[in-house]
Amino acid sequence: MNFWETITGNDLTREWKAFEARAGALPADHRAAWDEIKGHLFLYGDFTGRNLMPILDGALGLLEETATDGQSIHEVLGDDIAGFCAALAGGEGARSFRDRWREQLNRNVARKLGRLGG
Amino acid sequence: MGIHDIIEGKKQWRAHMARVKALPPDYQIVYKEMQRYFFKVGPVALADGSLLTGVVDFFEEGVAAGKGVLELIGNDVAAFSDDLIKDSPTYADIYQERISTKPGTAEE
Amino acid sequence: MDDLTEMLKGTLEGCVLEIIGSEETYGYAITRRLNELGFADVVEGTVYTILLRLEKKGLVQVTKRPSGLGPPRKFYALNDAGRQELATFWAKWEYITSRLGKLKEGGR
Repeated sequence: MNFWETITGNDLTREWKAFEARAGALPADHRAAWDEIKGHLFLYGDFTGRNLMPILDGALGLLEETATDGQSIHEVLGDDIAGFCAALAGGEGARSFRDRWREQLNRNVARKLGRLGG
Repeated sequence: MGIHDIIEGKKQWRAHMARVKALPPDYQIVYKEMQRYFFKVGPVALADGSLLTGVVDFFEEGVAAGKGVLELIGNDVAAFSDDLIKDSPTYADIYQERISTKPGTAEE
Repeated sequence: MDDLTEMLKGTLEGCVLEIIGSEETYGYAITRRLNELGFADVVEGTVYTILLRLEKKGLVQVTKRPSGLGPPRKFYALNDAGRQELATFWAKWEYITSRLGKLKEGGR
C-alpha cells in the first residue's frame, strides 16, 4: 500500500485535509517547498502514514513560522530539500544535517546579535 | 497532534508569544532561533509546551537579573539547546524505530 | 583553568546535587558557587539544563518563591531519591579517582 492509499483510506484523511488547508495559507514559494517536501517524504517506502504525521507537522510548522517571519525558503532550507527531508525522517544524513542546523543556529544568533550592535 | 498544536492552541500560543515579545531584543533573537531549531529537530518534548515556556521562564529571570542573553546561556546556543532536549527522543527517532522493528508492516 | 568543559560534563550534575544537598538554593546561586569554586566557564544556562533534568528524574523538590524583583524563583532541595543519587555519585567518583590514581602511579 502506498502512502496515498494509507492516508486516504482511513481516519488520517481529516488530519491530511487540515495540513493542506494550512499549506494553502502559505505564500507561493513556501507552498511549493511544501509540495516538494511531501514528494520526498513519500519516497520513504514503507511507512504507515501515522508515523509520518508528526514529521510532516513539524516541517509545515517550520514553513509557517518562517513565512510569518518573512524568511525566504532558501534561507530556511538551503538547496538540498531531499537532504532536509532525509534528516527530518531521521534517515541517512540526519546527523550531518543536525550539525548543519546547529551551526546555522549559532551563525544566525551571532549575525542578528551583531546587527543589534553590542 | 504534535508540534503544531502548541501553535494552534491559539490563545495559549499567543500568550506565550506575547511574553517572548516583552523580552529585550537580544533575548528575542536567541529565543526565535532556538525555536526554529527545535522545530527542525522535532523533539517529542516540544509537544507538551513545557520546553518553550520553560525557556521563557528562564529568560525572564535572566532579564530580571540584568543579564545579557549570551551571558546567561553562553555563546554556544546550539549546545544549550541540545542540552535541553538531550533526554527527549525526536519524532524522527520514533519513526525510525517503528520502521526498523516492523519492516513492511502497516499499522492496524 | 580553561577548557574544562568536556571533562567536567559528566560530573557537573553531581556537583549541582552536592550544592543543592547542602542547602535549598536556586539556579543563579548554584552557578555563582560553581564559578567561585574555579569553574569559571559554567554559565547559568548550563545549570538550568541540569536542574531541568534533575527535576524530570524526580531527584529534587521544587518550590517557587517570589523574588525581590522579577518573576518568582524556583528553589531546589534534594528529596530521598536525590540524596541516594548523590551518594551514588560520590561512590562512583571515589572509584574513578582511585583507579586513575593507580594508573598514574603504575605508569612510570
